[in-house]
Amino acid sequence: MSSPIFALDGVGVSYGKNTALARVDLTVEPGERIAIIGPSGAGKSTLIGVLNGTVAATSGEVTALGCDYRRAPAREIRKSQRRVGTIHQRFDLVEQLRTVHNVNAGRLGSWPFWKAALSLLLPRDVQRVRAALDRVGIGDKLHHRTGDLSGGEQQRVAIARVLVQDPVMILADEPVASIDPARGREIMSLLLELSAEAGVTLLACLHDVDMALGSFERVVGLRAGQIAFDKKRADLTDDEVDALYAFERATEPR
Amino acid sequence: MTTTCRWEAAESPSAAPGTPPPPAPERGTGATGRSRRRRGWALLIFAAIVVSAVAAGIGREQVIKSEGAGSLFDFFAAAASPRLDADFLALTGTAMLTTLAYAVLGTALSLVIGLIGGILTSQAWWESGVRTRRGRRLAGWGLARAVLVVPRGIHEVVWGLFFLVVFGIDPIVAVLAIGIPFGAVTAKVFSELLDETGRRPYTALVAAGSSKWSAMLYGLLPPALPDLISYGFYRFECAIRSAAILGLVGAGGLGFQLALSFQTLRYPEIWTLLFALILLSVAADYWSSLVRSARARGRQRSRDGGGVRRDPLLTASLVFGAVLIGLSSWWIGLDIAVLWSGKAWEFGIQLLSDAWPPSVGDTGFGGLLMLAGVTLAMSIVAITIAFALGAVFAVPASTPAQGRDHIERGAMARIGRTTAMLASRFVLVVLRAIPPPVWALLLLFVMYPGILPGAIALAIYTTGVLGRLMAESVDNLDARPLRAIRSTGASASKVFCYGVIPAAAPRFVAYGLYRWEVTIRETVVVGVVGAGGLGLLLQHQISAFNYAGALTTLAMLILLTLVVDITSAAIRRSVR
Repeated sequence: MSSPIFALDGVGVSYGKNTALARVDLTVEPGERIAIIGPSGAGKSTLIGVLNGTVAATSGEVTALGCDYRRAPAREIRKSQRRVGTIHQRFDLVEQLRTVHNVNAGRLGSWPFWKAALSLLLPRDVQRVRAALDRVGIGDKLHHRTGDLSGGEQQRVAIARVLVQDPVMILADEPVASIDPARGREIMSLLLELSAEAGVTLLACLHDVDMALGSFERVVGLRAGQIAFDKKRADLTDDEVDALYAFERATEPR
Repeated sequence: MTTTCRWEAAESPSAAPGTPPPPAPERGTGATGRSRRRRGWALLIFAAIVVSAVAAGIGREQVIKSEGAGSLFDFFAAAASPRLDADFLALTGTAMLTTLAYAVLGTALSLVIGLIGGILTSQAWWESGVRTRRGRRLAGWGLARAVLVVPRGIHEVVWGLFFLVVFGIDPIVAVLAIGIPFGAVTAKVFSELLDETGRRPYTALVAAGSSKWSAMLYGLLPPALPDLISYGFYRFECAIRSAAILGLVGAGGLGFQLALSFQTLRYPEIWTLLFALILLSVAADYWSSLVRSARARGRQRSRDGGGVRRDPLLTASLVFGAVLIGLSSWWIGLDIAVLWSGKAWEFGIQLLSDAWPPSVGDTGFGGLLMLAGVTLAMSIVAITIAFALGAVFAVPASTPAQGRDHIERGAMARIGRTTAMLASRFVLVVLRAIPPPVWALLLLFVMYPGILPGAIALAIYTTGVLGRLMAESVDNLDARPLRAIRSTGASASKVFCYGVIPAAAPRFVAYGLYRWEVTIRETVVVGVVGAGGLGLLLQHQISAFNYAGALTTLAMLILLTLVVDITSAAIRRSVR
């Protein structure tokens, strides 16, 4: 596993005249734990989208797990996507479904359609789902309707969904932004624990700078769609972090 | 029952598919330009009504057959003594079950078509995926939409006549004739439902490498499904009426028995059958509105943050519906093997090759245009009458209370109000339970065949539908402004003039226009019983095996409905 998981080379994304990302170079090696920080609108979510293949780069090269997103056939892309799990800010769960189905949704990439359909009637692989829910601490919620769970519990369901997907890489887009700070810290340490346990690479976008600086070895600063810095935590100075948010702070008080 | 209104609007064939409603054209911005445009439309509508009335022969020809009054009286007198002997009741019961079975299976087929077609015409389906190019996506989406336009534009009866030629007398005829056009409408409504549903869970699953079908199944269908099912019940209600009409053209069931009894003018038999039809129709109406109002409450609850919950009534109805599907296909002996029988294919291909190339026939293109004009006039006269009558019935038929009615009046007044509500609701349900061709046959007792009886038959039926829609929209009015007017000490009639009419009028107009779009399609149905226009020509051509001519007429009809759809959409935009 010496080849990088992700290699972005001069990637740009623009919507009409608006540029969301410009000339981004980023390499992610196996086992790394990276935090992406930056003011809102800096392009963090777009970057996650480029990495998991939901946002198409308008320029540059994107290679994920050895697969060229811009040229590979759709089947190959899906194969890579299957090995990348994403946790979203707003959970992206189906509230009408029971927890077991929402967790199993992580397996859809490896299940044939008939098995997916059958599982909605007779849940398949329940043991594996239960183990994942136990691991995130809500094993008793297996048959609850997801919409009835609290925000923190729903985020745990989303993590369990990624766990059963068995990815080599977890992307987290503001994983704790919509739950209270105490729950947020619990969830964050759970994510770090899980990635360490399974040797899974972790890349998280965080609005909370202290959390990023406190727990990640590598920090990437993003500003106005461009990479401002990409350093080991130890080499990063407070001035650099302040500069990243400088413009935002200067305009805020008005 | 907000649901009906939502769907009636969503269903309207001209609403821009899946895209947000286009902003009103900004010609002559501001209130003055708007009111000028409205005045223009009002003038145009008035002129159209006058021209149509003249074209329909009002005040020009002798339309009333005075000698028929006696037989009409006999006919209504027979209502008190329907034929109720065991033999005929058994026959009626059998026919009733057959009509019910057609409606059930037709609806089931339309739901299958609607589900698959709805997914394939949704934006969610075409917009996901990493690399598909924008142009190709738009082309695919547009093509899928276009494929559904034709089946939607052709009335069930025309489908029925076509399948009768292909399959002969076979239960599959009615099932296909209902299922295909209903399926196309359902697909349109369902694709809009899917696109209204939050797409994030679906996108998340596609991002994790799931196939589109699996992602649809887990991410998009569960939230949208209850709405689809409850819409299916609304379609079922419509399917009962369609099944009866299809019987009239020879597909069996209540309609077929009605046609037989009409031919021999056995009034007591006709009444027994009509009562059965009304019974069936009322039951379907009631079941459907029960399911839909439960669903509307559920949606309200989840909007209020009460979370989503399973709806026991919906689940029970679904199970019952599934049992009905099984029983129905056993009852009519449905055998789908005929679909791939060589003979049916031979007939079908023979028919299509006879029809191609389409020919204008001996009337010439000018004659065809004139008939299109006649059809248009018929629809305009029908919708004008139905609009006026519907509005008259809607107010008493709306639910009393909610701060706009006579709450503080005495008990007598309240009982009177409730009686008026029940009576007008009953009248409306009877008007819409009896299909337009039957009304037309009744009118032919006292009128000479022509456009006018056709128009009036359509008007009577449409009054039943429109009156109910209007009553529901009065029910759904915001009660607060009405309470405010009342608190100034205004009398009930003043509240009505200042509060109810201004608030309800735009919706009434919107429903009227929507029903006009439906009515122009239904002119075919009364044409079949000899009431003139393109429908009559089509019937003649089909019975004379002139399929090339029929294809031309059909194309003309589709074109006409398209023109009506576009006009109606333009007027609705200016009213909004």
